[in-house]
Amino acid sequence: MSTAVLQRVSLGRVLRAEIADELRGIVREPTALFFSILMPVGFFALFVSIFGDLTDGTMPAGTRMVATFGTFGVLAATMLNPGIGIAQDREIGWLRAKRVSAVPVLITLLCKVVAALCYAIAMLVAMAVTAGLTGSLEATAGQLLRLAVVLLLGAAPFALLGIAIGLQAGSNATAAILNAVLMPSAVVSGLWMPLEILPDFFGHIAQFLPTYHLSQLAIAQLDGGPVLGHALVMLGSTAALAAAAALSYRHARP
Amino acid sequence: MTKVLEVAGVEHRFGDTVALDDLALDVAAGECVALLGPNGAGKTTLVNLAVGMLVRQRGTVLVGGADPRWASTRRQLGVVQQTLGFPKVLTVRELITGAAVRGGKPRSSAAPIMAELDLTKLADRRARKLSGGQQQRVQLAMALVAEPRLLILDEPTVGLDMPARRKFWEIIARRRAAGVGVLVTTHLIEETAAVADRVVVLNHGRVVTSGSPTELVARFPDRTVLARTAVPERRLAELPGVLSVRREDALVRLATREPEELLRVLLAEDPALSGLRVEGTGLAEAVLAFTGGSARPNAEVRA
Ligand SMILES: Nc1ncnc2c1ncn2[C@@H]1O[C@H](COP(=O)(O)OP(=O)(O)OP(=O)(O)O)[C@@H](O)[C@H]1O
Ligand SMILES: [Mg+2]
Repeated sequence: MSTAVLQRVSLGRVLRAEIADELRGIVREPTALFFSILMPVGFFALFVSIFGDLTDGTMPAGTRMVATFGTFGVLAATMLNPGIGIAQDREIGWLRAKRVSAVPVLITLLCKVVAALCYAIAMLVAMAVTAGLTGSLEATAGQLLRLAVVLLLGAAPFALLGIAIGLQAGSNATAAILNAVLMPSAVVSGLWMPLEILPDFFGHIAQFLPTYHLSQLAIAQLDGGPVLGHALVMLGSTAALAAAAALSYRHARP
Repeated sequence: MTKVLEVAGVEHRFGDTVALDDLALDVAAGECVALLGPNGAGKTTLVNLAVGMLVRQRGTVLVGGADPRWASTRRQLGVVQQTLGFPKVLTVRELITGAAVRGGKPRSSAAPIMAELDLTKLADRRARKLSGGQQQRVQLAMALVAEPRLLILDEPTVGLDMPARRKFWEIIARRRAAGVGVLVTTHLIEETAAVADRVVVLNHGRVVTSGSPTELVARFPDRTVLARTAVPERRLAELPGVLSVRREDALVRLATREPEELLRVLLAEDPALSGLRVEGTGLAEAVLAFTGGSARPNAEVRA
């Protein structure tokens, strides 16, 4: 067997090329960019400018909103972008092209999520800067960094959900399904308005939603609240949704 | 001769449908094998097994001696298929470089292949702004850039005009000369006759016959005699060696195994006969016959 043919596929080069392609795809189709970055940041700016200075005694509302709106923004980017992206790739035969290539399809999926994380980071930075500019940011750089790490890691189960749906449904249906999951979960989990001002039963439902537990983990990075229970829920959700995504992949039509 | 594709004892079912039944087929290095057969014969199923898209149920499928389900095996594989596509926001260069990197080749390998396929001028154009034929050239470039040992071409020339088609087969011929094996499925049978070393005819998931295009045609001694004549059909059917008579307005088509004998009698019967033509069986008719069409191959007559 000729060694010229069997050169090693360099993982580093493949990752770089795939992520670059993904980012080009997002940047060159600005409508996706609008929904995944501009909209959450826009809402954030609006809410912070109105309520940012209110305080619950531990921190200004503007700082807390970096955690809660940040959770929403990171989830919107990491769930919608890979999910809809995979559905689109399936529709145009690009996922199929990847599957007959010499790169395991898992790498392709991973790169989609990593590209979305780049956008999530950009969004978090934009939110922190907005809060800072309005004078309602009271957090150390270390706290903000921990917050970002928690949100990016905590995005895993949501990215897996996006992938699981995107491997089965068309791109429009995927967008509809994921938004139908994300929007109510965000409201009920207090990502847009604090749970304190919402009806009590929202708080009860929230206990069952990973969105709530992720936002609590994020807030804990700022106020030093408890993390263990929330972290366990996130680990459990990740395991369950990883299994769902694997099952979905197994039954995806080529 | 090294085999770049080995298929043996393959059976594949979709529920109750048997798509492939005890199928065996090899492609040697440098060889071009055409897979022919009617709709639903199992061609795409075989292709999907060979490219690692389907999980093998029974039998062996090896590409360069290894299982195509393993990603590393697919470094030896180039695929052109209608069902493959690419994002239209990327440029020609980005697409071909990406394919090179995924195949373990340096980014610089994109330039020569773009030159070979006349894509250099289009290199920085987004795929959205390419014509259908240009997009197909991009797909071929992506299949070739990593220098595969086996090319799998599933209806590769659909939508290409004549010059593009000729160019396509020239490029494939160059790869074959360098030892690349080719498996092609197509419904353009006469095109296949010109390029394939070997034709494998599938029907209901089984190989019904195989051989070189000339061999397959040679198994059909039937000739068709066409002429304009006033001789009534009933009389024509009694003429020596006539197997069937078909009239299309003034033109009659007579199928026969003894064209010379038939012509002598026919010309004597009708001095005003005109428009005389004798045709042999083409590969298309031969394939049709093997898969349940009208003509009868010799093999069956002897049996
Ligand atoms: N995913 C599937 N589910 C169920 N049956 C299938 C599936 N794919 C193919 N088949 C069946 O398997 C048989 C072989 O199909 P295949 O697509 O391999 O034929 P083909 O030779 O490529 O036909 P065509 O010339 O129409 O492309 C057909 O009877 C088809 O209906
Ligand atoms: Mg087919």
